[in-house]
Amino acid sequence: MSELIQILLLGLALGGVFALMASGLTLVFGVMRIVNLAHPIFIIMAAFISYWAFTLYQIDPLLTIPVNMVVMFFVGIAVYKTVLARGVDKPGYVTITVLITFAVALTLDGLLGYFFSNNQRVASPAYATEAIFIGSFFIPKAQFYAAMVSLGLIGLVWAFLKFTRVGYAIRATTQNRSAAQLLGVNVGQISTFTFGLGIALAGASGALMSFLFSFFPAKHWEWIAILMSLIVLGGMGSLLGAVVGAFLLAVVSAYVSSFFGPTWSPITFYLALFLILLIRPEGLFGEKQEAL
Amino acid sequence: MSTDNLTVAEIRGQRQVSVIEKKGGGKKELVIIGILLLALFVYPLLPVVTGSNHNYSLHLLLFAFLYIAMASSWNILGGYTGYLSLGHNVFFAVGGYVSGMLLASFGLSPFFTWPLAGIAALLVGFGFGFITLRIRRGPAFIISTIALLMLIRILFDNWEFIGGSNGISLPLIDLPVQLVKIPFYYALLILAVVTVYSSYWIKQSKIGLGLRAISQDEIKAESAGIPTSFYKILAFAISGLFVGIGGAFWGQYLTYMRPNIYLVILIAANLVLMSILGGRGTVAGPVLGAVILIIINEFFVSQFGGSELNIVGTGVIMLVVLLFFPLGIVGSLRQAGKLPKLLDWD
Repeated sequence: MSELIQILLLGLALGGVFALMASGLTLVFGVMRIVNLAHPIFIIMAAFISYWAFTLYQIDPLLTIPVNMVVMFFVGIAVYKTVLARGVDKPGYVTITVLITFAVALTLDGLLGYFFSNNQRVASPAYATEAIFIGSFFIPKAQFYAAMVSLGLIGLVWAFLKFTRVGYAIRATTQNRSAAQLLGVNVGQISTFTFGLGIALAGASGALMSFLFSFFPAKHWEWIAILMSLIVLGGMGSLLGAVVGAFLLAVVSAYVSSFFGPTWSPITFYLALFLILLIRPEGLFGEKQEAL
Repeated sequence: MSTDNLTVAEIRGQRQVSVIEKKGGGKKELVIIGILLLALFVYPLLPVVTGSNHNYSLHLLLFAFLYIAMASSWNILGGYTGYLSLGHNVFFAVGGYVSGMLLASFGLSPFFTWPLAGIAALLVGFGFGFITLRIRRGPAFIISTIALLMLIRILFDNWEFIGGSNGISLPLIDLPVQLVKIPFYYALLILAVVTVYSSYWIKQSKIGLGLRAISQDEIKAESAGIPTSFYKILAFAISGLFVGIGGAFWGQYLTYMRPNIYLVILIAANLVLMSILGGRGTVAGPVLGAVILIIINEFFVSQFGGSELNIVGTGVIMLVVLLFFPLGIVGSLRQAGKLPKLLDWD
């Protein structure tokens, strides 16, 4: 019994981080209907920033989060402006953008692999080997900090969406793009900003990834399937859905990992994805998707 | 989107016109294609007659045949309906491993077992299509194809019976070295011809009409009485079939099978790129795209070597095509009214 609770704790800690990773993806999908297949390669890009900052200058990965977010925000805006901003209102935009982000992912994957090689890396700050004990249970410090930071950031994003004018406009655009435009929302600017914000969140998750998971450029294909399963479960475009999906699947995968071995834990996400598609394609919190 | 924004009725009209055109002109083009095919069929006899070694050119040609078949096959679903599969090499792996294991365990040659590889791929297509294709088009299908690829990769990497991640080595064909590629050459040439012809036949058939209607407006297609789910699943399975058969020959050709030969995303990416470069939804497009891309690829590999830069090249070319001529070569030329008859196979 106590073992089961221990696994639950570890799963929940992981869920927080997954939620942050998926939040940018779901925001971008909500506002623009872009399935950003390049999202995880941006996370890995940011992980490299944190990794090198730590390895070369001993800067704590957690401290690189603001830098990562700013840098990746502008990277996101640059990518959006150059390859995604055109033809937003044309039919088939969804299909084309999936392919475009696929191509961006391939390009960055190859570039990162070429310059940094596909060796596994992980930053190891002091807290990576320590743990916090609660009674007879423990949580590794790294995962605990990462989960707290993630939840804090998601809270900030939620408050931003809820209480600021820009957040208002973003939610309006998510709900109904043309109606928002009619009511005077500058949909183009909002889209650009949201894409930047989404990639900035990828940047923050990258800092966490650098010391939580061993990473290498080509690993992002695994991550895209994992992150997509989270937001498909939660309902695509819903921030709350992404958080709930992340916690649910992270916990399940933690159990799978401890009972069947860590090799099989990614399978949880893939099978979950198929199951959701079979049973409830719109996810837990999503509205029924019309043909896109 | 697909080639152009035609209504179903217009597509029908256009189809009749193209049939009429074929009856009138187009003879010359058919003769040229026939001569080209004949040359390809005769070419391997050269080393047999002269005894010289043409293995490099044979390899390039049969590699091109394989990709022509696979890209045309991808196009049956991805091009005609607009449902993009980014994990299509799963079929390649399934076909390859079925025939490969039969060869390794019982010594049965892929030249006899390829139908089984095809059937296995077909079944995977039906099964997976049943799960993911009954809902209307959305990003979910695309994502689930990537997830399927990852899932199969983990399974194959950890399945000891089929060699796990180290793979399994396969016996060579018992032929002199300058002739050993020839059986594969013919098998893949025939596969390419059959696949391209099937792709043409499907496009002209009632199913093809339904598939193209789905790519335009799935809801309308459904209300017009087209069994959309069935057509989509069928198209997916058929587009897996030929890829699976290609995989069956590929294992013995390489003389070994490993998950990281079959199940890397670059293969799937190449199939997608070949189709959109040549022209998604056209019959000639994937063929043209495959040939161009293999030439570029060969140049890249000889100049720069590294597989990482190969990935960059694939990504950059894909970006350029998507941004500047999303209809592909054949589609753009047709839109401009400058498509040579030689490339108008629809």
